[in-house]
Amino acid sequence: MGVNWAQVLFNSAVTGSLYLIGAVGLTLSYGLSGFPNFAYAEFMTLGAYMGYFVVRQLGFDIYFAFIAAFLACGILGALAYRGVFRFLANRGANKIHLMIGSIALGFIIRHIIGDIWGWPPTTFGIIWPGFDIGPLRVTDLWLALIFTALFLAVIMHLLLTRTTTGKAIRGISSNPELALASGINIERVTLLTWAGGAALAGVAGLFWGAIASISPLLGWAMILPVFAVTILGGIGSFYGVLAAAFIIGLAENIGVVALTQLGLSTEYRMAIAFIILIVTLILRPQGLAKAFRRT
Amino acid sequence: MEESLLRVKEVGKHFGGLWAVNRASLDVARGSITALVGPNGSGKTTLFNVVFGLHKPDEGCVYFNGERIDHLAPHQVYAKGMVHAFQIPRLFYRLTVLDNMLLAARGHKGDGLLNSVVFRQGWQAQERELADKALELLNLLELDHLTLSPAGELSGGQRKLLEIGRALMADPLLLLLDEPAAGVNPLLGRKIFERIELFRQRGLSFFIIEHRLEILFDFADWVYVMDKGKIAIEGKPEKVAKDSTFYKVYLGD
Amino acid sequence: MNLGLLVYSLDIVVFIGIFAIVALSLNLEYGFTGLGNFGKVAFFLAGAYTYAIVMERTGIPFYLALIIAMLVSAGIGFLVSLPALRLREDYLAIVTLAIGEVLRLVVKTEDSLAHGVWGINVPPAIHWSGMSVLEMRMVNIGLVYFCLILCFILVQLMTRSPYGRVLRAIREDEVAAEALGKNRVKYKAQIFMLGSALAGLGGGLYAQYMQYINPYMFMPMVTFTVWIMVIVGGPANNRGVLIGAVLVTLFERGARIIKDYLLLPIDPINLQYILFGVLVIFLLAYRPQGLLKERQLETKAIEGVQQWKNRSSE
Repeated sequence: MGVNWAQVLFNSAVTGSLYLIGAVGLTLSYGLSGFPNFAYAEFMTLGAYMGYFVVRQLGFDIYFAFIAAFLACGILGALAYRGVFRFLANRGANKIHLMIGSIALGFIIRHIIGDIWGWPPTTFGIIWPGFDIGPLRVTDLWLALIFTALFLAVIMHLLLTRTTTGKAIRGISSNPELALASGINIERVTLLTWAGGAALAGVAGLFWGAIASISPLLGWAMILPVFAVTILGGIGSFYGVLAAAFIIGLAENIGVVALTQLGLSTEYRMAIAFIILIVTLILRPQGLAKAFRRT
Repeated sequence: MEESLLRVKEVGKHFGGLWAVNRASLDVARGSITALVGPNGSGKTTLFNVVFGLHKPDEGCVYFNGERIDHLAPHQVYAKGMVHAFQIPRLFYRLTVLDNMLLAARGHKGDGLLNSVVFRQGWQAQERELADKALELLNLLELDHLTLSPAGELSGGQRKLLEIGRALMADPLLLLLDEPAAGVNPLLGRKIFERIELFRQRGLSFFIIEHRLEILFDFADWVYVMDKGKIAIEGKPEKVAKDSTFYKVYLGD
Repeated sequence: MNLGLLVYSLDIVVFIGIFAIVALSLNLEYGFTGLGNFGKVAFFLAGAYTYAIVMERTGIPFYLALIIAMLVSAGIGFLVSLPALRLREDYLAIVTLAIGEVLRLVVKTEDSLAHGVWGINVPPAIHWSGMSVLEMRMVNIGLVYFCLILCFILVQLMTRSPYGRVLRAIREDEVAAEALGKNRVKYKAQIFMLGSALAGLGGGLYAQYMQYINPYMFMPMVTFTVWIMVIVGGPANNRGVLIGAVLVTLFERGARIIKDYLLLPIDPINLQYILFGVLVIFLLAYRPQGLLKERQLETKAIEGVQQWKNRSSE
């Protein structure tokens, strides 16, 4: 039985795009603030539910859902940074305290979502029919996902290289003392990064909810692959995440082919990202980023 | 001539492309106070770190008491009888002064898991003895009134003294002191060196990095001057002080 | 108090006991030695599933199965400790979290092991025909608290000793501890193995009490719940952690009782977790040492100090 490698490549692009959108926010905020924010999972979950709210409850088009997800999660990110993490940091919290604080915040958000929308899984109620382009089976949703990721990549590149904020992010990541000395408003940059990152997480969650299903535990289904991409790419590095997202996307999809050939369950697909994560942390925790000259 | 206690032979250590220590050789004689001086960045602390096992040398070897030790981890070097005191004291700040001292004791029976839990008699008595020994040392360093205070409550000078006291508690053959008088007032600095001399008379050997040359040269038996990773000059303090190279090293060419 | 409420309360008591064991194990790792193990549930799962599988396939007595569960968990702990323990705290947290999820994925997928998502039935450790629910609960309280008392004594002995002093030193500054002759790799590995074994014990007890386990009972949330028990109770204070286990479990299970008595616009279970999260954040901000602070290590050495003080004042 032949393998449709073109399809595998396309699927890798889809997976990679999803992971890219999901991981940008995490890598930048982790790099700037120095700790992994486990409530990031709930930023993604909220994005999906914003979509649900707009599409199923308000009856609008899915396009408005993106705007809703982006805005709502952006605000959530800003609130989380100001209200929880900066607050804890000012009270002398160390890295582990901040991590536990992020877990507690996750509980709060997750159960608010669960209370408002219920715990059983649900969907947007939209079907995206598949159609063929040459040897490829595609859907509008997947194409939209790839397009969004490309768009994001271009915007981020321009942001990081052309704007002051962007350059500030790169500066703060590589040399915090120098950044402080050169008058960059670290506070403002950090707040923007947290808000923007969370907003992107919301969009990623929205896509994931459209592809799979929506539940308050959605974020936790996605969070570990997103961490894998972040770590493999190198914490704080957008370009690292760009590469890592597609590497892992490719690994997962080729892995599915391999699993089927080996007669193993495709459930192990998730394990591929986890194993890459574990191996990277053990062998080369700083990830790929050093291979790039830019942040 | 009797064999030296510590022998550093052609040791090299680099980070990235930079050789912090470059073919350095020196000897520390038994029962001596040997000094290592040199401008900032000359590689003194790196050499110390290689000697006590924090880094592995890229070139050369280190011998202690006749045995080769450059491949050993710090806790193994400690077991051989060499103890290192850090330049910026690495005390256990949330633990008491007493705990800090007791942790340094060599061969504490309670250190093992089984002994801790099951064979408790073994270490109960030892705790008393070690406490007495610690208190003697603390008394000598004028810290005994702070025995049960958390180490974090000590002043800068007191912390340096505790760092040294901890190292002494370990009954070492050789003590590596990284700037024992740094950051304390000259009077206290001199006092510290008087204590060092006291312990030298009891049989300990010392290998000391120090910037306070006025104090150091009064006490040291032999001085090594390091520059850019190499040993530039060595000799008795009076001789080194008069050597013109010495000033060149410190002031730059 | 009606019988139903009594039986329900006893259920809470059993849960407190089981999770207290797991919390003590985390306290040993994090509170005393500074190891941020965010994969606790992995060892809980390993113990539970080992017990279940052993009991399903063999006829050995329950206490042997519990011991095997502990050994398997300790073995996995050892394997994890080799590469993971030298990582810095956030990396260790992520790696342990990931390992937990990998283990859960394996038991979920490999139906041949323990029936995958359908779960596996587990015979209770001690039972006789005609046993009532009340009697079942009482028996489990006896079993679980017997184990808990043993664990408590063990961790107290370990931490109130020179060994405990070394653990604290490694927590405070492991490089300095190494420079003073302590083999930090050895100590960290020992503690991690022991902590894993205790978590495995908790898992085994849990499996036989619930009489049925499936992969969805071992989500990362379990790890986080145990962490909150340690933080609330007081890291490095074993008694505090016991109190933490009581409070957190009451919080968790208590909402179900309140549900019957109070009418609220918001589901009490969700409300309880929301309040919980808020409380934890405030605790981290204002009282990170927990309810009971860490106590100074008191051994015979302190007596020596007393004598010295008396002598010098003469």
